[in-house]
Amino acid sequence: MSKIFVTGIGAISAIGNNVEEQHKALMGGYYGITTVNNIDSKYASLFPFGEIKITDNQFIEILKEDNYKGLSRTTLLALHAFEEAIKNCQLTNEELSSADTALICATTIGGMSLINELYRNATLTDLDSKYLYSYDYTSVARYMQEKYKMNGIVNTINTACSSSANALIYGANLIKNGFAKRAIICGVDSLAKFTINGFNSLRILSSDICKPFDAERNGLNLGEASAVIILEKEEDCKDKKIYATLSGYYNANDAFHASALSENGDGPYLSMAGALVSAKIPATEIQFINAHGTGTENNDVVESKAMMRIFNTVPPFASTKSNTGHTLGAAGAIEAVFSILNIIHQEIYPALHFTKPIEDTGLNPVVIYKKLSIQNVMSNSFGFGGNCSSLIFSKP
Amino acid sequence: MMYIHKTAQISPQETIFHKDADTIKPGVNGKLLAKEPLYPFIPAGILRRMGKSVKMGVGAALTIIEKEELNGIIIGTANGGMNDCMKFLQQIVDYEEGMLSPGNFVQGVPNAIASQIGLLTHNKGYNNTHVHEGLAFENALMDAVMQLAENKNNSYLVGAVDEISDFYHNIEILKGNFNSDNILAKDFYATKQKGAIAGEGAAMFVVNNQQEGAIAKLTGIDTFNNTDPEYLRKRLLDFKTKYQEEAPIDLIISGENGDDRFDNYYSTMETTVGKDIPVVRFKHLCGEYSTAASYSLWLACQLLQNQEVPSHLLKSENHPKQINRILIYNTYFGVQQSIMLLEKGV
Repeated sequence: MSKIFVTGIGAISAIGNNVEEQHKALMGGYYGITTVNNIDSKYASLFPFGEIKITDNQFIEILKEDNYKGLSRTTLLALHAFEEAIKNCQLTNEELSSADTALICATTIGGMSLINELYRNATLTDLDSKYLYSYDYTSVARYMQEKYKMNGIVNTINTACSSSANALIYGANLIKNGFAKRAIICGVDSLAKFTINGFNSLRILSSDICKPFDAERNGLNLGEASAVIILEKEEDCKDKKIYATLSGYYNANDAFHASALSENGDGPYLSMAGALVSAKIPATEIQFINAHGTGTENNDVVESKAMMRIFNTVPPFASTKSNTGHTLGAAGAIEAVFSILNIIHQEIYPALHFTKPIEDTGLNPVVIYKKLSIQNVMSNSFGFGGNCSSLIFSKP
Repeated sequence: MMYIHKTAQISPQETIFHKDADTIKPGVNGKLLAKEPLYPFIPAGILRRMGKSVKMGVGAALTIIEKEELNGIIIGTANGGMNDCMKFLQQIVDYEEGMLSPGNFVQGVPNAIASQIGLLTHNKGYNNTHVHEGLAFENALMDAVMQLAENKNNSYLVGAVDEISDFYHNIEILKGNFNSDNILAKDFYATKQKGAIAGEGAAMFVVNNQQEGAIAKLTGIDTFNNTDPEYLRKRLLDFKTKYQEEAPIDLIISGENGDDRFDNYYSTMETTVGKDIPVVRFKHLCGEYSTAASYSLWLACQLLQNQEVPSHLLKSENHPKQINRILIYNTYFGVQQSIMLLEKGV
C-alpha cells in the first residue's frame, strides 16, 4: 500500500492568520483567548474566546470576495486557509477542477453562524435575503466547489468535535481506494451565538482561560479556526515538498453518553489503539501526543486514563486548546497542522496555564518548548455522541 | 463493491404496492410527512427526548440490526435534527440567551442519529456522519464501500434520514426549491411547476462482502457537483465504461421530482443510458429531500426481490421483462448528481 503524504497546509486561528504566524505563537507559548469584539452574543463579555481578530468585511476585502454573495464567516475562514494551502502545495486550477481531486469539509456550525438572518428567513419576517444558500452545513463546501469548479468527490462531515479527524480519514481512504488522486481536507468553525449558547447550556464554558489537564480546570473556551490539509499518494509526489505522512488512523465510538465520555474511556482507548495498529507501530514509537485536552472535568481525566491504559510510560503530551480554544469542527484539522509542525521542525510546544496534575492520574503535560527527535505524533479528537478518532502523522 | 443484506425504511407511505396512484397518500400543503411507527424497539424514556429524525433513523435501524454483529454505523443526513436546532434557536431568541435547556442542542446535532444507534446497541465500532446535502447518503455508501475494502469480514449499518422542519422548510420555499401545493400522486409529474413537494424519511441497510443470501450488490457509484447536462452525459458514459461492462440495464430508477426546471437532466440521463429501458419514478411516494436517494436504493432492493413493478411507478407502459440490473440516477436541484448501479443478489 502506498503512503499518504501531506503536500500542503494552510491555517488560521486565534494565534495567527497563517501557518508561519501560528508556528511562532506555539514556540513562544502565546495564546489568543481573550475578550472578544466580533461576536454578537451577551456572553461575549462574560467568557473569553479564541477569536480571530479580523472582521467579516476585512475578510471579504482580503479574499477579494463579493459582499453580495452572502458568505458566512465560516466560509470566509475556510477560503482563507484554502488559499494558503493551495499556494503552499502549488496546485493548478486544472488540478483543482479535475475529477480526481476530492474536497472534504468538516464543520459543526456551517452557515448557522448567521443565526439572526436565519431566524428572520425561517420565520418569514424577511422574505428575501442574500443568505438563503448560506445556512446549511454544506454551504462551505458548496461555495468552494463552485468557486474552484471542482468536479471530484465533495463531502461534508459532522461528527461534532471529531469532524475534521474523520474528514482526514475519509480523504485518505478515497485516495487508497482510487476514488481520488488527491484530497483537500478543510476543517472550519466560526464562533457563533448558536454554539456559545449550546455549550453554555451544558455548563462547560470556563469564565477563565482554560487549563487542560490541570487539577483545577473548570471548562473549555470556544475558539474559531480553519485549517486545510492536502493529501496525495506517494507516487504522485515525485517532485513535491512532503511535510509528513498520514500513517495511521482509527475511528471508534464510546457508546456511553450523548455529551460525556465513559469513565474508562473505551472510545478514546479504542481510537488510540486502533491508530497504532493502522500505523503498524508499537506504542513506544509515539514521541508526542497532541491531546484532545479540552479543559473540561470529564474529557481530561478520561483521556488521561485512556492514555495510561495504552502507554506504559505516557509520552510527552499537550493540548493546543490552551492556545486556540476549542475550535470544534476545525479542531482535528488545526491540530493536525500543529502535529505536522512538530514533525517539520522536530520540536514540541508547551501546554499553557498548567500548574497542578490531576490527582488520580498524576500526568504532567509538557510545559516548556523543546527540540525533540520526532518520528510519530498522535493527534486525538473526541466528540459528543462518543465519536472518537485518532490520527498518527509521521516523518516522511 | 458490496452486498446489501437487510433493508428497512420509514417513509410517508405504508406500502409501494398500490393498484394505482389513487390510493397513494398525497402531499398536503407541499409536504409528504412520514408515517411513523410506534417505535416498539426504543425505550420509552429515551424515545420521549428524541426529535423526529433521530426517532426515524434509530427506529428504522433497530428493526434490522437486533441480531447483527455490526462493526460500525454510517449515516448520511443533510440536516440531522434540524427541527431541534430551530427550537434551540427559538429558545435563544425567546429567552434572550438566558438559561436554556440543552436538550434541543444535543438532539439537534447531526451525529445524534449514528451515536444513538451506537449507544442503544452498545456498538463501539466505526461511527460516522455525512451531511453533504444531496450527496450525504451517497458519501455514506462510499464510506461503507471503503470500510469493507479494508475490513473484508466486517458488516456495517449504512443509511440516511432527513426530516421536514417547518421553520427550515420556509427557507426552502424562499429559495424556490419547494412549493406549498396540494398535489395528488397521480398528478405529481404532470403538473409542470416550479418547486417540488417536500418529503422525509429514513432508509437503513446492512452491508458486507458476503454474496450468500444477499438481496442486492452495489456494483458502481459516482457522485459529482456540476449543473451542465452535457457534463452529466460525459460522466454517465465514463460510468458505463468503468462499471457496466457489456451487461444490459433492465430498469432505470429516476429521481424526477415534478419540478420541470430539472427535467432536462433526467431526459439527458434517459437518452444516454438507453431510451428503450423502462423507467421507474418514486418521489410521488417519498417527496423530495436531500437524502431521497436512500429511498430509491431501498426501492431498488424491493424491485429486485419481488421482480414486479407496480404500474404507478412506471413512467410509460414499458414494463421490464426481468430485473437483474438497475441504474439509479438522482439530482438534488440540478447541483448535486449521483449514479448508482445495483445487481440482483444470488
